Amino acid sequence: MKDISLVRFLPKEPKIPFIKGRTIAAILSTLAMIASVYLFATKGLNYGIDFTGGTVIEIDTGADPEPDKIRATLAELGFGGGTVQNIAPPPDSGVDHDYVRVGIPLQPETEETGATAQQDALNAVIAGLKDSIGEFNIRNQDVVGSKVSGELREKGILSIVLALTMVLLYIWFRFEWQFGAGAVAALFHDVILTIGVFSLTQIEFNLSIIAAILTIVGYSLNDTVIVYDRIRENLRKFKKMPLPEVLNLSINDTLSRTILTSMTTLLALTALYFLGGDGLRGFSFAMIWGVLVGTYSSIFVASPLLLILKLKRGGKISGEVPAEV
Amino acid sequence: MLYFSKWKTLGIIAAVLFGFLLALPNGVSSDVREKFPESMQRTVNLGLDLQGGAHMLLEVDLTSVLEQALDNELEAVRSAFRDAERLQTEYLRVENGAVVGRIRKAEDVERAMGILNDLSEAIDPTALGSEKTTRVEKVGERDFKVTITEANIEAIQKRTIEQSIEVLRRRIDPTGTTEMTLAREGDDRILLQVPGAKNVGDIKSRINQTANLSFHMVREESNSERAMQLAAQGKLPPGAVYYLQQDSPSGLIIQKRTQITGECLKNSSEGLHPTGGYPIVNFSFNIKCAKIFGELTSRNLGKRFAVVLDKEIITAPRINGAITGGSGFIEGSFTLDSARELSLLLNAGALPAKLIIVEERTVSAELGNDSINAGKIASILGLIGVAIFMWMSYGLRFGTIANLALTINIMLIAAALSLLGATLTLPGIAGIILTIGMAVDANVLIFERIREEAHNGRPPVNAIETGYRLSLAPILDANITTLIAAVTLYFVGSGPIRGFAVTLAIGIVMSVFTAVVVARLMTATWLRSRRPKKLPI
Repeated sequence: MKDISLVRFLPKEPKIPFIKGRTIAAILSTLAMIASVYLFATKGLNYGIDFTGGTVIEIDTGADPEPDKIRATLAELGFGGGTVQNIAPPPDSGVDHDYVRVGIPLQPETEETGATAQQDALNAVIAGLKDSIGEFNIRNQDVVGSKVSGELREKGILSIVLALTMVLLYIWFRFEWQFGAGAVAALFHDVILTIGVFSLTQIEFNLSIIAAILTIVGYSLNDTVIVYDRIRENLRKFKKMPLPEVLNLSINDTLSRTILTSMTTLLALTALYFLGGDGLRGFSFAMIWGVLVGTYSSIFVASPLLLILKLKRGGKISGEVPAEV
Repeated sequence: MLYFSKWKTLGIIAAVLFGFLLALPNGVSSDVREKFPESMQRTVNLGLDLQGGAHMLLEVDLTSVLEQALDNELEAVRSAFRDAERLQTEYLRVENGAVVGRIRKAEDVERAMGILNDLSEAIDPTALGSEKTTRVEKVGERDFKVTITEANIEAIQKRTIEQSIEVLRRRIDPTGTTEMTLAREGDDRILLQVPGAKNVGDIKSRINQTANLSFHMVREESNSERAMQLAAQGKLPPGAVYYLQQDSPSGLIIQKRTQITGECLKNSSEGLHPTGGYPIVNFSFNIKCAKIFGELTSRNLGKRFAVVLDKEIITAPRINGAITGGSGFIEGSFTLDSARELSLLLNAGALPAKLIIVEERTVSAELGNDSINAGKIASILGLIGVAIFMWMSYGLRFGTIANLALTINIMLIAAALSLLGATLTLPGIAGIILTIGMAVDANVLIFERIREEAHNGRPPVNAIETGYRLSLAPILDANITTLIAAVTLYFVGSGPIRGFAVTLAIGIVMSVFTAVVVARLMTATWLRSRRPKKLPI
């Protein structure tokens, strides 16, 4: 039986001069990061109610909704800042009409309105809509008060910072400090670009996006650590080879693995993006973007940074080396 | 590296089989599952976002509870001083979170301090060396200050939250049939989760009611129109209070003091009036209160008493005869439903503090179902896509090994979720799909290494052995870092995010096991049976 293995077509010893492209990559990355920060500063993020507080209800009116009528009702009720959005039903649900998502911004919790301001707003909107568009089914309702959203915001930032710190410590412990610094720089790069793309697309930024970012952190790190591991090994193996060449060789050694793993992950995530339903679209988008950026950064950011950080040979670098070459 | 002792091989196969048995109940329909032995009934717990239900975070208004505690302390001091002969104060009030007062005569100070100290009791009388409820301080010559101790504040808060949880449990689930969660969260919050809740509005209205029941005598002034006008303006004689009557524009002036409260209630049920046939609420008191109620009614024949619920008078009947049996009924303008609702509330008791819904997430069963279906389709298609890709990349033999490892991996995730009783959420499904994509990574790493070593001229067995040996460090490094991210996510994240972290972390651990242990065993078995001259990779 003859196997048709596509890996046979991947070059066994690729010699792509990645390290030579480091100047272009550095310029590209810097520009992209500046653009991201600029976008974030000017356009900001489209925060979901997890972080802003407020109310979101998704309703099924039994027919295609009339967004204008709903908008008018919201304005009449004094929730002019609300949002109305059509939601397509899932592909195989047999439902032939759209659902509609109604968002109401956070209501001030003053002494006058009381701490139940959000609940009162929710009740007012449900009653008002029943008057204007008739009966409907509520598919879900999310209400987040100002205190909880503030806590979620803090927790979100804290979790990213904490995860980055822990990872830095681990790599520092396992490798030389330059590796740790390089990996974390690459992670910052990925996180900033992800925030940039969310600012650009204005896709809702909520708790699950934070989860996605943390997973990107994990994934990108996965990639970086694999390359680093090979660098460490090759440094021992080829004691005389100049550092740029060792880096290049290591990236090429791990290239087929990088490509294959990125492909399988992207395949799974693409299925999730198109078929996972509305609730996971933003999340899978973030992940797809993260896999692309993370793969790029482990090749073009994390490794060249070792040159800039002046990685010394010898020292703590250890690890198993094949007995014969 | 490739040699597995017989025991090791058996151990690995046993672990995989055990995983298969644990995962199996998830893969069959519920009819088939019922025929399994009891130990194999356990399935993955579906989160509220997948099965539908209500999730609410309730904040307990502890400030008002502490204010109430101070007021009670003030009343206790006042009545203790009144009972002690000729002990008079210049003033006595609550100020800056403390009860403060000044004794009129200097010679009484010593005696007063003694009384105050006696009022301060051990928080937990059964525990030796338990802290006191209050701290008594003498300020200056004749002034004193009584504060509630930190330990007591903590005890009061704890008690308030525990009571609230108990009352909520009885109110929302009087028959104890739903699998709801009620748990303390943080310092002042209660987490309420009701899976499959249909009527969220109903749950919310039960949370918001306070159900403070009490019986008061109606005062003579209620018959005077002028007194009623003054009362409506808030000008009341001492010891009296003006409450509105249900379904009536006017209210009644009643005595503030009551000896019969909701705590007297032994049982309450809805019923029909014995002669009128309209809905009523039956009640019966405990023995102590039945006696008090009997005396009260026999002493006040012909007078009216008011049944007050949450500062509203439900009914104010005239006492026609002494009620000594300790049971009676409340008439009002009830429907059968509202009578049932009221008796339910009375049985559950009053909430010790106001509860505010600070976060609410409810998902209908239909939406949950849609999410499960979408997740299933995405998982299956993702899995098929990855499997085809692996076969195309590594050919039949190594592709099959990788895909078998992947399948075992997913099975083990399901097994671990069932075993740990962890909850699968929508983001959790995303975690599994991500794992499907990443799980092959360890195998890819190993295979690429083998390919490289074979290309360097090593014979097959040697190449495979070296490949496995050299990939171990990168696999561990790479997965430990992802695991760190997942663990951080679990501890800092909240709600559904935790579900994602759980599946991700389990997925990572299982994928390392399947790639490094299970797949290696498969490779070794294949190698031993075939002894190939050249690797098909």
